[in-house]
Amino acid sequence: MKQILLITDGCSNVGESPVMAAAHALQDGITVNVIGVVDYGTIGELGSREIEDIAKAGGGLSRIVGTPQLAQTMQMMTRKTVVQTIQQAVNKEVKKILGDGSLEDLPPAKRSQVVTVVDELSETAPLRLALLIDASASMKPKLAAVEDAIRDLALSLEAREGVSEISVFHFPGTTGEPAVLDMDWSTNVSDIRALFGRIRMKGATPTGPAIFKVLEHFRYGTLNEHQVRFAAHSDDGEGMPGGYVV
Amino acid sequence: MGMSSNPPRSPGDVIVGKWRGNRYVVERLLGKGANGTVYLVNREGRREKYALKIGYDALDLQSEINVMTSLQSCRARQDWQDRAAAPLAAYFLEADDASEGGFPFYVMRYVHGMPLHYFLSKKGSSWLGLIGLKLLDRLSGLHEYGFIFGDLKPENVVVSEYGEAELIDFGGAGPIGRSVKQFTEWHDRGFWNAGSRIGDESYDLFAFAVLCLRLLDESGLKQAARQLPQTRSAEDLVKLANQLPDKKLASWLGMALKGGFSTSAQAKEMWRSHVYKSRIGKPEPMATPRWLTGAFALSLCLLAFTVYWIYRF
Repeated sequence: MKQILLITDGCSNVGESPVMAAAHALQDGITVNVIGVVDYGTIGELGSREIEDIAKAGGGLSRIVGTPQLAQTMQMMTRKTVVQTIQQAVNKEVKKILGDGSLEDLPPAKRSQVVTVVDELSETAPLRLALLIDASASMKPKLAAVEDAIRDLALSLEAREGVSEISVFHFPGTTGEPAVLDMDWSTNVSDIRALFGRIRMKGATPTGPAIFKVLEHFRYGTLNEHQVRFAAHSDDGEGMPGGYVV
Repeated sequence: MGMSSNPPRSPGDVIVGKWRGNRYVVERLLGKGANGTVYLVNREGRREKYALKIGYDALDLQSEINVMTSLQSCRARQDWQDRAAAPLAAYFLEADDASEGGFPFYVMRYVHGMPLHYFLSKKGSSWLGLIGLKLLDRLSGLHEYGFIFGDLKPENVVVSEYGEAELIDFGGAGPIGRSVKQFTEWHDRGFWNAGSRIGDESYDLFAFAVLCLRLLDESGLKQAARQLPQTRSAEDLVKLANQLPDKKLASWLGMALKGGFSTSAQAKEMWRSHVYKSRIGKPEPMATPRWLTGAFALSLCLLAFTVYWIYRF
């Protein structure tokens, strides 16, 4: 199971549409969840619509919360998405056996069996979760809370029976990369320490290009491999980021 | 976010089960949990009242039902044992879907009472020794069957007028060794950097200890929880426990917070012998008031006089 969790506080303003990037992610079998973090005021109609649209295109969930609810929301979303992914897969099997019909249409005894399987797989299936953190200037006061929430989430994932790996990206990078890898795939909570200490904040929010970068990381594992494929990818005419602000 | 699109039920509404056909009449709202809304209902044809939980999500609710039915079947298999000690003495009744609206629900025994924190604030914290024992009894029963409760907090404990305690809301319950599904910040071992979120017996015992602290020193707990996440530790909670006037309770809590009990059965026995018995052991000495002595003497005289009067004729 593969998931991206995007944490942002506003609208993207550079590069490709993040909604399209999320649709690409879903195509690759990666679910995209989005959390909008607001502490004072609101996120704006445009921002909240974008957050919802990214999640819809990415087959995931979206929520707008304040920093106090951040940890709990991240934990809940990740779990719900794992269960949903499993449920979708199981539902396909159920449909093969029973013809048309969803979980709600099954008689209680059958439903109980299906849910037992879903619970079992949700706990044991391997999970890869990439966290993509908006580090634009307005997010700066919230980054400490984000880091605490990531640590808390990692603690929950560590308790799963299946292997759960987390990687962390922030965007934009200081030298023009759409996203920077802060922590590569890890199963260890203690690796998450002082993630964003060195970040210099930038004004731009290239959410779309950043999602594309994370997709590359999912596909090819390491960043070095990715550089090679990066060029090839832009030849595909998928529209690699050209002129995002540096 | 998948939250219920079900409208709230009003008193008098009838919920009919699609599969089993039983009819339930809504009396009033009892409360809301993470997985659904609970109503007090009457079942047509029976005098008893039940609690009926309408789920927000079929899968989440079924998962909860599965835990309860497997507990119930554990109980049935071990029925020759002490009935009263079973963690769910006939707690779960049936699960069904509404014939109108199609929403999933299940029906359970209705425990008439109030949440633990209300009970203690109304009746006094001297009840904690007894209720704590009953709770630990429930928990160790669950553990014996291979489950943990998970989301233990005062809101999930109902206490009857006469101190009967019952766990409600099994949304966080699951098999031992699995990750804990639902928890509440203050009661969570991970929140205090005191261990993993893998459900084991000491996870519930930790949550139980925080529950005691919350009931006895909520402001102290609140303050400790407000620290930076990295600096929170079980040690802060142990310090709070040590400030309690009851030293035996404090040392029990210290053990639970540090994961010092190997099983919850052991923790229960320690509670019984140290916390519970220590309350019973020292009844408050009460001087007999003088008027009572006088009244007693007078009534003796009256008795003697009456006896004399009766036998005289």
